[in-house]
Amino acid sequence: MKIGRRKFLSVGSAALLGLTLKADRRIEGSFVNESAAAGHLLRDRASFTSPQKIEKFSIVIVGGGISGLSAAWRLRKRGFKDFVVLEMNSQAGGNARWGENEITAYPWAAHYVPVPGPRATYVRELFTDLGVLKDGRWEERNLVFAPQERLFLYGRWQDSLEPAVGLTQKDREQFQRLQDVLAKYRATGEFTIPLELGLTGKFAELDQISFADWLASRGFDSRALNWYMNYACRDDYGALTRDTSAWAGIHYFASREMEELGPLTWPEGNGWITRRLLERVGENVRTGQMVNKIIQSNRGVTVLAGDTEYRADFVIFAAPTFLAPYLIDGFPKPRNFVYSPWLTANLTLEQLPESRGAEPTWDTVFMDSPTLGYVDATHQSVRTFGQRTVWTFYWALADGTPAQNRQFLLEKDWNYWKEAILQDLERVHTDIRRCVSRMDVMRMGHAMIRPSIGAILSEDRANLKRKHGRVVFANSDLSGISIFEEAQYHGIDAAQIVLGHVSGHPS
Amino acid sequence: MGVLLFVSVMLVAACGLIYELIAGAMASYLIGDSVFQFSTVIGTYLFAMGLGSALSRYLNRGLVQRFIWIELMLGVIGGFSSALLMLAFAFTQGFQLVLYAVVIATGILVGLEIPLLMRIVRERYSFRDVIAHVLTFDYMGALGASLLFPIVLVPRLGLVRSALLFGLINAGVALWSTYLFGSQLMQKRSLRVACLIVICVLSVGIARAKQITAAAEDNIYADDIIFSRNTQYQHIVLTRFKDDLRLFLNSHLQFSSRDEYRYHESLVHPGLAAVPAPRRVLILGGGDGLAAREILKYPQVEAITLVDLDPEMTKLFSTQPMLTNLNQKSLLASRLHVINADAFPWVDSTTDSFDFIVIDFPDPTDYALGKLYTTAFYRAVARHLSSQGFLVVQSTSPMFARDSFWCIAETLHQSGLQTFPYHVYVPSFGEWGFVLAGTRPYVAPQSLPPGLRFLTPDGIPLLFEFPPDMAHIPMPPNQLNTQVLVRMYDEDWKDISH
Repeated sequence: MKIGRRKFLSVGSAALLGLTLKADRRIEGSFVNESAAAGHLLRDRASFTSPQKIEKFSIVIVGGGISGLSAAWRLRKRGFKDFVVLEMNSQAGGNARWGENEITAYPWAAHYVPVPGPRATYVRELFTDLGVLKDGRWEERNLVFAPQERLFLYGRWQDSLEPAVGLTQKDREQFQRLQDVLAKYRATGEFTIPLELGLTGKFAELDQISFADWLASRGFDSRALNWYMNYACRDDYGALTRDTSAWAGIHYFASREMEELGPLTWPEGNGWITRRLLERVGENVRTGQMVNKIIQSNRGVTVLAGDTEYRADFVIFAAPTFLAPYLIDGFPKPRNFVYSPWLTANLTLEQLPESRGAEPTWDTVFMDSPTLGYVDATHQSVRTFGQRTVWTFYWALADGTPAQNRQFLLEKDWNYWKEAILQDLERVHTDIRRCVSRMDVMRMGHAMIRPSIGAILSEDRANLKRKHGRVVFANSDLSGISIFEEAQYHGIDAAQIVLGHVSGHPS
Repeated sequence: MGVLLFVSVMLVAACGLIYELIAGAMASYLIGDSVFQFSTVIGTYLFAMGLGSALSRYLNRGLVQRFIWIELMLGVIGGFSSALLMLAFAFTQGFQLVLYAVVIATGILVGLEIPLLMRIVRERYSFRDVIAHVLTFDYMGALGASLLFPIVLVPRLGLVRSALLFGLINAGVALWSTYLFGSQLMQKRSLRVACLIVICVLSVGIARAKQITAAAEDNIYADDIIFSRNTQYQHIVLTRFKDDLRLFLNSHLQFSSRDEYRYHESLVHPGLAAVPAPRRVLILGGGDGLAAREILKYPQVEAITLVDLDPEMTKLFSTQPMLTNLNQKSLLASRLHVINADAFPWVDSTTDSFDFIVIDFPDPTDYALGKLYTTAFYRAVARHLSSQGFLVVQSTSPMFARDSFWCIAETLHQSGLQTFPYHVYVPSFGEWGFVLAGTRPYVAPQSLPPGLRFLTPDGIPLLFEFPPDMAHIPMPPNQLNTQVLVRMYDEDWKDISH
């Protein structure tokens, strides 16, 4: 082999410096799906263009997330078609939106639904309709493929996210004791999904303290256990245990049976459900329609959006409830409605980074990281081979107040978040910069309702569940927790309430 | 002169250490257990050096001349040590004997060097200076050698050429010494000739190092590697020993040309011959074209679709004469259509139906391959099976991986199919298993295509008998969300290898 002098020098000196030829990739990307600017128009009471035309529907559904689409699904299933869904973004789905590139579809937010228990009858009904539940059996392709998840801690991997390595006798004893306590709460039947079905107020005192205080008062001081509880609250509520109601913290664990099956998931996460719903109700959905006013009168409701004045008998308000005071004149600002800010990013990888011997999994979490780790979109693919993939990276900005974090989210540029995310991944995947070719970042100031102290059993929340004149509320924030099942429950519930009042329609 | 003298001390010391390292490394490479090899080589070597030092007292006259002869002997023995060791390993039973003989010989010679040198120069320096200088340069040479060896010599030159190079240095020091100590020498001319001869021999050795290594390696590895390529998907290796051609994918044996007919006849005919009037056949995997060769023996088969992931694989088996000879150019047949695609997505996307489907994938060694052994996959495949059709799955060994075999059978059963497991003895694999599956009962065929070397109609029912040590054991099905098979397979084969 002949090596030219120049090549010898370049390779030789690079080798000496330990650089070799492994250069970092250039990373493209930007912020995507930005909605803060539009939302702030409402907040700042900007003036909107006056409507040019009038359209009439029996029902207007405000918001095309899971709640709004589920309401639509129920209406159409009952043969009712005289309605429209108005979605502010260019794409329906809300927290179940998805994206797609030449490699795979991928989620923008919610990415799985746990196998529903017996009380989640609406979820089971939907999944039967979508072919996910067939003859009492869950479709294998929709259950998360093995290996499911891995946690990086103390310089090594373990499978499953509950810390199992490096535990002391005390840690083990506390995990076991907590499991026993939670089993007792589970047995009471108070903690259900949907939440409303079990809630009697029997454990109201749990809603008056933080989950952190509850854990401390019961002597749960294990560091590993507290990390895991914090992880769970950040993952489902975008909050730390100290900012979460103990009732909600317990609900997270006590509401689900110990299932053998992993959750239901798809490459595009819950975007798959959105797509299937849109196949069924898409012709009633209008995107890019930001509602700026809802006016009630004795004869009906007027909804202003863009250049159209919609006249309806009823409105299903499926958008986040914090928007209601800006849209409905005289509507009081609901108390105890705190929303967690989130950041998600989709990373295109040209190749998988070093994993230090661990098989790639669906969900990967690093212990002691402020982020929630990432999910691999191609994990749920039946392909055998494929170098390239997309990772969805999740980060609930839980430390600090939501207002501070919203500010921070808006202030920092794409480059800042790109670096922050890469540095987090570099804790474990030291060669990540050689793998990522694109990173799109989505900022959500009000990503999900937070079950803060007193929120679950608050009076305002209970009041909102009633019909307000011709407006029926339906967002998942009515439950105080932001999960698919709650959104779907309230959407369907609202549709049924409204159907009962629509003249001449048998409900 | 002083500096030059001590430079030769350094060189000589470096040579000595290199031979020791080469012996240790060679022994570790060839027989493994590096801790043991290095310990015993170093120990023996140091002991032999002690012997050399002890023997040095019996050398009294003509010290320079003797020193030069020692250097030349060392150049030859040390220089050829690694070639000698490699050949000894390849061609004899006595590697260990040769190893320690070489170690002892070089050790004794190296042990003689320093005492002789010290005595040669003692007139010029005080005793204190001799000790200090000689030992300083001796140890410096050792450091240099020990760094050069792993960083430059082994990766750049290899063991054979490194040894020869240092043999040349020994011979060079010898030649140089005839000038350096010229005043103390009698027969300078004949010594220099001897030096030049040794240098020539070693140089030829360096020039021929490749052939020496190749000759040895041919004997060390069982077979010639005739093809080796890393494709996008896998590592393909073909080996040949006399008339035996073997294919390895990612180091797993796929077939041996001596007995592959047993495997491929058994894979295809029990099922295909039992399908009435088969017209369309699908092969998933099987890029070697050997299953296709068997299927082409049925004139009534109109179309064969072969789906293999790796285009390099199907190309190799369409063009390489030795391989097209083996598969009888099956991949070039007009009735056969090759599609290079990932099987699972392809099965999902196709609308065709088939009368016989051969599923011949590598064993489920990882989660990616494991997806091709799941109820989800078999359900997807079964949708493309005609009502009279059968499918057959290569299902690893019911003997060595009994759990895995019955897990695959159960997976097919849970996919809504009737299953008919069978097995066959393939010498290069051992006992091997297949599962036939379909939507109707199986009746063994009464006739087979002509020209088979292994299967007969009478023999087929016997394949479906399982002796107790391979008999059915209840196993869970393999599913995408559990992937129990991959772990099971790993455990099964771990049990065999320990």
